[in-house]
Amino acid sequence: MSILAYNGAAIMAMKGKNCVAIAADRRFGVQAQTISTEFEKIFEMGPQLFVGLPGLATDVQTVFQRLKFRLNIYELRENRRIKPKTFMSMVSNLLYERRFGPYFVEPVIAGLDPVTSEPYVASMDLIGCPMETNDFVVSGTCSEQMYGMCESLWEPNLEPDDLFETISQALMNAFDRDAVSGWGAVVYIIEKDKVTKRFLKTRQD
Amino acid sequence: MLGPEMLGFGVEWMNSEVSTGTTIMATQYDGGVVVGADSRTTTGSYIANRVTDKLTRITDYIYCCRSGSAADTQAVADLVKYQIDFHRMEMGKEPLVKTVANIFKQLCYDYRDQITAGIIVAGWDSKDGGQVYSVPISGMLQRMPFTIGGSGSSYLYGYVDANFKPAMTKEQSLQFVANSVSLAMNRDGSSGGIIRLASISKDGVERHVLTGDKVPKFYEDY
Repeated sequence: MSILAYNGAAIMAMKGKNCVAIAADRRFGVQAQTISTEFEKIFEMGPQLFVGLPGLATDVQTVFQRLKFRLNIYELRENRRIKPKTFMSMVSNLLYERRFGPYFVEPVIAGLDPVTSEPYVASMDLIGCPMETNDFVVSGTCSEQMYGMCESLWEPNLEPDDLFETISQALMNAFDRDAVSGWGAVVYIIEKDKVTKRFLKTRQD
Repeated sequence: MLGPEMLGFGVEWMNSEVSTGTTIMATQYDGGVVVGADSRTTTGSYIANRVTDKLTRITDYIYCCRSGSAADTQAVADLVKYQIDFHRMEMGKEPLVKTVANIFKQLCYDYRDQITAGIIVAGWDSKDGGQVYSVPISGMLQRMPFTIGGSGSSYLYGYVDANFKPAMTKEQSLQFVANSVSLAMNRDGSSGGIIRLASISKDGVERHVLTGDKVPKFYEDY
């Protein structure tokens, strides 16, 4: 089995009208066995900036910790919040430093620019190749299923409540076709002045 | 991008066998048997079928539960069904559950190095009533009051040992099997979907399907 599929995960992010959404499943498992249904894969890196880390669970936690360290130093030096685009470059750099012995995570980034509040989503592969899009990004063991769902359900300029429905349905119906992801889901809706975190009631199989 | 797909290895599901990594179970009650299974078939980690029927008819009174390779178990079950159809025509009466179980055993044992098949045979006949036979991967045969099988069964040994009672009614048996399959589906990635049940007695087969809310729920908010 591929190392990226050892723990299993499903994460996606979508752009909306003056908002972004990022959502993930909550399973922590070891191959076929599910051990926990409360595993955090989305991490807050700023008041309107989140990173989702699917892949090998130990690297999910280590990459988050090392990224947070670099981000803290950046914010102390610059005395301001980091822009999403710059953060993406920071993540890419961290991953490429390990080019020949990589971290087994393929991150997803979602946020609003701290000054202009413009929505931003990006993803990258395990060695830091970035991809910025204008619609959505997906990553995880059921990425093919997630691409299919997003491509059919997403449309531009969705309001926050509609974006919530769209991303929830896209994620759930994708991971319901994957044996190693699911068992609960969490959705963050990020708007200019607030972030709403909701848990979805999903199949527990 | 030069991923493994591009270099000719293929993505995981293209190189993986279709498996009914699964949870199956059968239990005997006074007057018949109850069999149950989940409904998930996987190709690697892709769920190829989420409403699979793993309870396969051999005769009107004898069913088998299939786990392991989908292709291997379908092929073996088809062979057994064929032989038993023939046998029934010759004998002029319904075959014994023991006979069907032995034919399964012979195939699973003789071809044990070439196939992956974990089978439970359960049914009713006029001579010995309800019977459950386990034919695990290696090809042995064992009659048991109840048995569990498939990858999800690992999570059930404690539960079934604690909750099985020898003289249960049909309704109690159905609940017992439904609870067990539900618990396994909750933990095993290769099991899931809906719960298919069947009760077999002198009156034939009664099939049930438990979907969505009807699947037994256990404590989920850890």
